Parts: sequence; structure tokens; C-alpha cells
Amino acid sequence: MVKLEDLKEEARRLLKEGKVKYIIAYERNPLDGRAVPAFLRKPEDADRIAWDPTCVHNLVRFLVDEKRRKAKEKNPDTRPVGVVVKGCDSRALVILLQEKFIERKDVHILGLSCEKTGVADERKLAKRLKGKKAVRVEFGPEDNFTVTTQDGAVTVPAAEVLAGRCLECIANFPVVSDLLLGEKTKRTVANAFASVEPLESLPPEEKWKFWQEQFRKCIRCYACRSVCPMCYCDECVADTINFAVTADTPAEEKAQKIKWVEKSPLDSENIFYHLVRAIHLAGRCIDCGECERACPVNIPLRQLNKKMEKEAKVLFGYEVGFDPDKPALISCFRDEDPQDFIR
Amino acid sequence: MTEEFEPKIIAFLCKWCSSAGSDLAGVSRMEYPPNVVPIQVMCSGSISPLYIFSAFNRGADGVLVSGCHPGDCHYIKGNLYARRRLALVKKLLEHLGLEPQRFRMSWVSAAEGQKYTQVIKDLVRDLKPLGPQTKLRRNV
Amino acid sequence: MKKTGVFICHCGINIAGTVDVKKVARELSQQPGVALAEDYVYMCSDPGQNLIAQAIKDKGLDSVVVACCSPTLHETTFRNASQRAGLNAFRCEIANIREQCSWVHKDMSKATPKAAQIIKSTVKRVQKNEELEPISVPVTRRAMVIGGGIAGIQASLDLANSGYEVILVEKSPSLGGHMIQLSETFPTLDCSQCILTPKMVEASKHPKIKLMTYSEVQDVTGYVGNFKVKILKKPTYVDPAKCNLCDECSKVCPIVVPNEFDLGLTGRRAIYLPFPQAIPASYCLDDKNCPSLFPVACGKCYHVCKPKAINYDLKPEIIEEEVGAIIVATGYDLYDKEKMAEYGLGRYPDVLDGLQFERMCSASGPTQGKILRPSDQQEPQEVVFIQCSGSRDPELHCAYCSKICCMYTAKQAMLYKHHVHDGQAYIFYIDIRSGGKNYEEFVQRAVEEDGVLYLRGKVSKVFQEGDKLKVWGADTLSGKKIEIDADMVVLAMAMRPAQGAQELAKKLKLALDKDGFLAEAHPKLRPVESVTAGMFLAGAAQAPKDIPEAVAQASGAACKAITILSQDRLYHSPTVAKAVKNLCTGCGMCVAVCPYDAIALKDGKVEVNEVLCEGCGTCQATCLRAAIQVKNLTQHQLHEMILASLGG
Repeated sequence: MVKLEDLKEEARRLLKEGKVKYIIAYERNPLDGRAVPAFLRKPEDADRIAWDPTCVHNLVRFLVDEKRRKAKEKNPDTRPVGVVVKGCDSRALVILLQEKFIERKDVHILGLSCEKTGVADERKLAKRLKGKKAVRVEFGPEDNFTVTTQDGAVTVPAAEVLAGRCLECIANFPVVSDLLLGEKTKRTVANAFASVEPLESLPPEEKWKFWQEQFRKCIRCYACRSVCPMCYCDECVADTINFAVTADTPAEEKAQKIKWVEKSPLDSENIFYHLVRAIHLAGRCIDCGECERACPVNIPLRQLNKKMEKEAKVLFGYEVGFDPDKPALISCFRDEDPQDFIR
Repeated sequence: MTEEFEPKIIAFLCKWCSSAGSDLAGVSRMEYPPNVVPIQVMCSGSISPLYIFSAFNRGADGVLVSGCHPGDCHYIKGNLYARRRLALVKKLLEHLGLEPQRFRMSWVSAAEGQKYTQVIKDLVRDLKPLGPQTKLRRNV
Repeated sequence: MKKTGVFICHCGINIAGTVDVKKVARELSQQPGVALAEDYVYMCSDPGQNLIAQAIKDKGLDSVVVACCSPTLHETTFRNASQRAGLNAFRCEIANIREQCSWVHKDMSKATPKAAQIIKSTVKRVQKNEELEPISVPVTRRAMVIGGGIAGIQASLDLANSGYEVILVEKSPSLGGHMIQLSETFPTLDCSQCILTPKMVEASKHPKIKLMTYSEVQDVTGYVGNFKVKILKKPTYVDPAKCNLCDECSKVCPIVVPNEFDLGLTGRRAIYLPFPQAIPASYCLDDKNCPSLFPVACGKCYHVCKPKAINYDLKPEIIEEEVGAIIVATGYDLYDKEKMAEYGLGRYPDVLDGLQFERMCSASGPTQGKILRPSDQQEPQEVVFIQCSGSRDPELHCAYCSKICCMYTAKQAMLYKHHVHDGQAYIFYIDIRSGGKNYEEFVQRAVEEDGVLYLRGKVSKVFQEGDKLKVWGADTLSGKKIEIDADMVVLAMAMRPAQGAQELAKKLKLALDKDGFLAEAHPKLRPVESVTAGMFLAGAAQAPKDIPEAVAQASGAACKAITILSQDRLYHSPTVAKAVKNLCTGCGMCVAVCPYDAIALKDGKVEVNEVLCEGCGTCQATCLRAAIQVKNLTQHQLHEMILASLGG
């Protein structure tokens, strides 16, 4: 069991000793009792840290913003930023290290093990509580969550309300950290790709019907992109790309951009956008599930990303987000890569 | 009577093997259906997934990428990166429900004019019964 | 607005027979940015080219598309014509409407629109083409040759005699390689040392050759025409200028170790002359075995050395050199002894490998040319030679044929018979491969004149019984089991790449084949070039080969190197990748995929070495953010071409 006091203690120490610039952690929103991201700057801020099954956010995303801010500063504070990570979040950090977007020295990683559970899916929890409002959700006892509503506390088996990604998690404790709290219990997942199988088994027309309905809902709010730690490009190719202009570039060309996708939420353009996102996340997405959680219209985006993760594993034996020194999925190959689809 | 459906196909051919192979088909006067507009690139390794999505988005009924056989790449290993990258593209498109026949990859060497001809014939034959590709086509 | 000229060739009826060229021209002239579209019967003829040139001048065209045959045929023709008319050559592109259209279709109503789309797509491309000039870089007009065996010596001499400076790097203390160990060479039986030593002397005395023995290449950076190399010069602790070869030092040295030159058949001291004809002619102190270099001082050699040539305080030096081309001639070694345990090599003193037998036959060898059993110094009466020891055995050993063993085994059996007239030589073989000038005649001579007995089959086991070596084998022709009580067994061991060649290949970024030999750029058409521009291969480092082949390849490699060294500047196609720095995040994926190491990260952004880049575009497809683009075939251009190909 993660001892929250240990985490607070460490955070307090780091801030007091000035070892970190600030710490990104979770705190409880007093309004609804759910965790929200917190930015701790003073030692006493450490008291606010929370750790419970509502800590769904991938805080690594904030390191992207931090890097941007820092790049603009004249005399930036070069101390590392502390960040609280779960297993999945730590793998996102591995990708950012692998892609040299973040340097290891710039981050102090406070790792928390989810042990045998994970985080709760808000929608599943609401359903389970049949309309009652949870004011507090806590880990335990054992593989259960304790959910407190105004009617008192109930024990809910975690498996019933766990987020989909947690049910298929292959790294329930951080793979990289400076401090690791909680046990490194190995959890076995029978099938890490179970959720994509029903869709895979459908004939093309039915798959298409499924996706057509899903993508028709897309309002192109880009929440999926904003919440994703891997979507750190300054300009998304799915929008437009401005090329650098030179002295002899004529005016008409300066105005030109590659416009792969139209911005308007047409079916075809929505699909194009999500195709590009899926292929650009292949070998990079570590299934933190944030895109799906953030989607206001409930598009099952994990179905796309998980499929790519599965193919990386099945076709190429590639596991994403464990080793920052490994080449990216698409910048390496094996002689025995399958080619039965090629004539 | 309605006219038979003629699929529109874009073929990305690498300069050194597949485009040369298709040149050989020409020199040998091998006939194949005129549905394919070839685009010559330097290497199959240079084919970005965006090109394939874009071709379908702009109304292609089928897309072919053809490169050198493994071990024959003019650039040593570009085709092997392409193999991995395009396997993912194919899986993704199929997961969405695009008919598997619509996106194809082949190895055609500079000596395989006959094979190139056959690849095109087969592709056109397989696409005809599917009718126009409307799933990814821009609907404006 | 762009001003593109489109020129459509009839190619007689080759194109015009299936494509309605007039109609295509009319259609193209309506395209945005197209200033004119004309057709002509033979565009590649002088009048055709003049038509293009005139239009460039008259209409002020800024780009040209010639719709004709495959670009492999006339791209250069039309680019030159454009250049002559004042248009940058890279603003001219070819639309292939013959091989890829008119020749493969019969129906004009279908071939015509297809031709139009191919041309439209090319127009879109050319309108975004940059003006480019060939990239040129200066050339450092000297070469480095790695390996001082026959191949390296030959390559160095050829380069030096052509007037180029050469740095010849050899890791051992003397030139000569394996050839200097040999006794007599097939098929002429001339003495190896007699033909090689003059070349060694010539190389060492050549004013253009800087000889660096006992040295190893540490690091190579740069690119064709402009390599920077770091060479580690190990100390020999003996000044060759002072050493007078008096041998006093060796006599007093208390340390005896196996002599590498005689493959352990004799011993040598820690201070030693590698072999009598060594070049440089100087003693060498082996610092792995000399106690004087450790805190315990022995110092005996130092005290007896009259010319005071010995200095224990010498340190390894790193020497930096700049060269324009590199020839790798690192040669071979014999297959590992331990791996041939079934034949008793290393276990029984009278089982020798081919090179040990060569030393024994050599007049300067451990037995002064007499063939004697190492165990009792008696002349062997029955000698069994086993070919393919480690070769052609994909299950257990090397899959490849070591190529030279058939010939040298015949030679060794012959030499044995010349020494021991009443002795019997047996050769176990799988096949006899005697392709080469006078080679087959040589093998026949061994059989007919010297009475060598060839047995077709494999040996299963060799073991000691009393003072004899029992050889069990099978004669696959008669199907009989064979048992020979031999006095000596000689194994024709497989050749493998030299020790350390693999590490060196890594430093040079050279590719290896599946057996660890250096990979050539093309197995047939570029057999002496490596995949890295400016690096060439010679000798057994590339594949097993005999002396004449190694010499021929060395001269070939020298000649290839001269094609670079003879230039003031090197020219390179400018259609290379360029970085779009504002989009780059420095993830390094493009760096990882580049087959030519042409991309590097500098200050977190991508940078292209235009000389190394071949323009394949694999980086372009790998980059997630369009931050690297091949000039004149950018994503932007592909995007437009896709649109045009699909008709809008």
C-alpha cells in the first residue's frame, strides 16, 4: 500500500531543500472530492497532496507545457520539476525521454504503484452508485475501493469500476522513477488487448458502421490532442503545415500550406484526423487512456491506439515505453518483420 | 445499361526497382488496365502514411506502394522501414473497416515487368467488384 | 503566377499512336500556371530541343515539363537543353507517358486521360521545384589503406605510383600479412617470400607511402573526399633507426612465448624480430609479456643494447590524419582451432593446420624446410590432408566455401612428396574446385606425377593411437569405410574475417555480410566498393580469395579510390534532404533511419550532411512533423501530385 504520508514527506523535503522547481501532483477538489492536478511550490503545499482512485490524469502532459514555457524564458530556473506518476504515466515519460523531448535531469520522478488495482472510470462508478454522488473514493481494503457518499461508505470491488486501460495494464508500477512508493506487485493480465478483439472480429462493413457513427460525433475540439503527452508538436500535421520561407519564395507561395485535412467537422475529415493521430501514436501511445476520458462525445479512441499497440507487439515484438534507449517503433526493423501482406 | 466501374488507383513506385520494372513492362509492350496513375518516388521508404490517407481522402479507389525486394533496396534498407510502417497503415485502415483489397504493397524488381503487369491486373480485378471507395472520400 | 511550359512528344507513333497528343496539349494549356503546351514529333531531336529552348526564352518560362519516354532515357537531355536556354536544370521534369502509358495501353480513349493526369501531376511538382546547383566539396587528395598484407601493399603501391600520398596502417609489427608465412605458391610453386619481400621493401621505401606498422585505426569521421582518421600507434619500445638487428637483446631476454609467425611451432622472446625479412627491420618489445614494463624491472635487453635503441618509457600515440579515400584490406584468419575438436587440432601435436604446414615447408621455418612430426621430429610416412575443415558445413561450421583450400592442399601434398619421396599423401575432399588459370593442370599434376591419393568423402574422427593418428573416414565413391594410420594430419581450415575486423567495420560504419566479411556495394557491378562512399574493399576481408584475386581487387580498389582522389572537387546531386528547423523537435527518428549517417542532431535540431545524403526520403516519411524534406520531392509536392493524379 502506498503511504501517502511518505509522498508528502518527500515532497516537503524536495521543496524545502529547493531540489525541485515545483512539483506536479494531485490534490482533492473540495467541491466534488475528486482529484485534480496540483502545482506545489512551497513546502506546506505538500499537505494538499492526494492519492486515490480518482487520480486519473496523466500529469506528464504538464511537462510538455513546462518545456515550452522554459524555452521562452531568458534566465530559466534549471532545477528539475517534480512529477507524480503512475505506471502508465511513467511509460509516457519514457517516450518523451526516448524522443529527447525531456531530459532525465530535468525531471524528478515520484512514482506510485497502483499495485493490484488502478484508477476508477467515472462513468462506471456513477453507474455503480446509481445516481448517488461520491464525495470520496479511496483505495482498499485489499483489491477494493471504499466509496463514500452522503449515505455512508460502501466497499466496491475495484474490478467493477476500474478504467478500461487499467484492466489491460501491463505496467502497474512506474518503470522509471527517483522514488517509488507502494509495492512492485506483478499483476498478470490475461489478455492485454482484449478490448480490441470484439471489433477486430467484425466484417469490414460492420467495423465501418461502428466507426462511422463514432466519428460523426467528433466536433474537432481537439481535447484528445490537448490532453495527450505525445501530442507535443508545435504544429499538428493534421491541421496544416507552414513551411519556412526563403528570400526567393514568391508571395503566393508564402500563403500556401499543405492542407491535408479540412478543419470543418465533416465525416471524411474527422476520420482523416483520427487516422493521422492513430498512426502518429503507433509505437508511442502507452495507453494512459486520457484521450478517451477527455473526449466530450465519448469516442472510443483507445480502440484505435490499442490496436496499433497490439500490432506493434504482435507483428514486431515491440513493447512501447519501457526503454528510453530503444529506437522508435518506426525507426527500426527486424529482418523477420512479416511481409505476407506484400506481393 | 450502366458502364462498368473503373477504379481510380494511385501507384507509388520507387525509382530504382518498381518504376524501372514498369518501364520494362512498357518496353516489352505488356498490356495492363489504364486505371493506375503512377507517381515515381526515390524509395518506398519515403512514402508517408499521410500520402496514402490523402489519396483515399481525395477519391482514390485503391492505392499501391511498390518497392525493391528486401535486400535489393538502392538505399540499402528503405524498403524495410516501409514494410514496417505500411504494415501498420494497412492494419489501421482495416481496423476502420476499409476493404483490405484497397491498399496494397508489392515488391517489383527492375526485371519484373511481367510481375508489375500482374500486380496491376489483379488490383484492378479485385477493386472492380467493390465499387467506388466512399468511406474515406472527402464528402464536400 | 507560374509560367510552366509543357512539351508533349509524339515519339513518332510510339506515343501519338495511343495518346491523343493534340487533345492532351489543349487540355494542359488550360491548366493554371501553364504558359504553353505544345506537341512535337520527336522532342529529343535537335529541332525538338530547340523548340523548348526557344519557348523558354520567348515566353520567359520558369519551369518545363517534357512528356515523353522514361526519365532514365532523356531526363539529362532535356535538363541540359533547359540549362542552355537559361533555365535551371532542376526546373525541368519528365512525365513518363510512353513506358508507363502509351506502350502498355491500346485504347486511346483511356490512355489519353491517363497521360493527361501524369502530366498534370508532373506540372504540379515542377511548379514547386527549387532551383538547385550540384553540391561540390573539395577533396583531400591522399588515401589510407588499412592492412599491410599483399592486398594492402598492392593497393598502396598503385596509389603511390599514381602520385597520391598513402598512409598504410598495419596492426602487427611488420608488413607481409599471411602471404609472408607461406612457403611456395600455387600453381607455379614460386617462393612466396621471394615474390613478396621486394614489394614490402618498395612500399616501405616509397616516398609517397607513410608506413604505420603496429598501429590501429581508432576512429573515422567525415565523408567521401574528407575523412578524418585517428590512428593509435602502439610503442615497439625499440627505435628502428637505431636497431642494427644484432640479436643481443633477444639472447638475454628471459621470457619465452609462442611465436605467432610460426603459429606456435617455435617460441620467441618478449623482445623479438617478427621474422627475418620484417619491415620495418627492427626488433619489437612485446609489452604484454615483458617484465620491464611492469614495476619489477628486468632491464636485461636495455643493458646489452649497444646502439641504445631501447626505451621503456615510450607511450602509445594518437595520430590524426586527413584522407579522401579509404581502402580496407584487413584480410583473414583461420577458423578457430577449438571449433575443430573432432579432428584433434590443438590436442594432438601431429595434427596441424594449413598455415603451420606452410611454415614447416618454408626454408626459413621452424624445421628449415624439412617435414618433421612435431612430436618426435621424424619424417612422416603417411600424411592425411583434410579439405573443408570448417568450410561448407552449414550445420556446424561455416556455410561458405573458403575457395583456396583445394589448391593449397594439392600444393602441400605435392610439396610433401617432393620432400619425402617414398611417403604417401592422402587428401579427403568433398569436391575439387580448381577454377583458375593453370589450376586444374596443377591438381592433375599432383595426382599423376606425385601420386597423391584423392579420397572423396568426409573424415568423421581423428584420434591418437600409439604414435599413429587414426583417421576414420568414408569414401563416398566406393561406399567403403576408410581407416588410415597416419603420421601427420593437416587440416585445410576455413578462412574467416580477420580478428578485430568486425570492430573496425563498426568504426568505419561498413556493413558486414552474414559471415562477417565486409559487404560490397553490389555483388556483381560494384564488387570493390563498400556501401559507404569513399571506402573500398580489397582482399580476403571481403570474401575468401587467393593471391592473384586479392592483388587484382587491390588494384581495382586503388583505381576506384583514384576516381575520387583525381578530382579537385566532388559533385553530388543536390536533390537531398533539408531540415525544416522550426518544425523539428529533435526526436532523432530520422537520424536512426538514415542509411548513410547523413543526419545528425545539433543543438537539439536536425542537420543534414548534404554530401552524405542520397536523397532517398526515408527520413521524410519517418518524421512525424514534416521537419525534414527531400528537395524537389517534398511532402508539399507529393500532396499536390496526389491531388492532380486524382483529377483535382
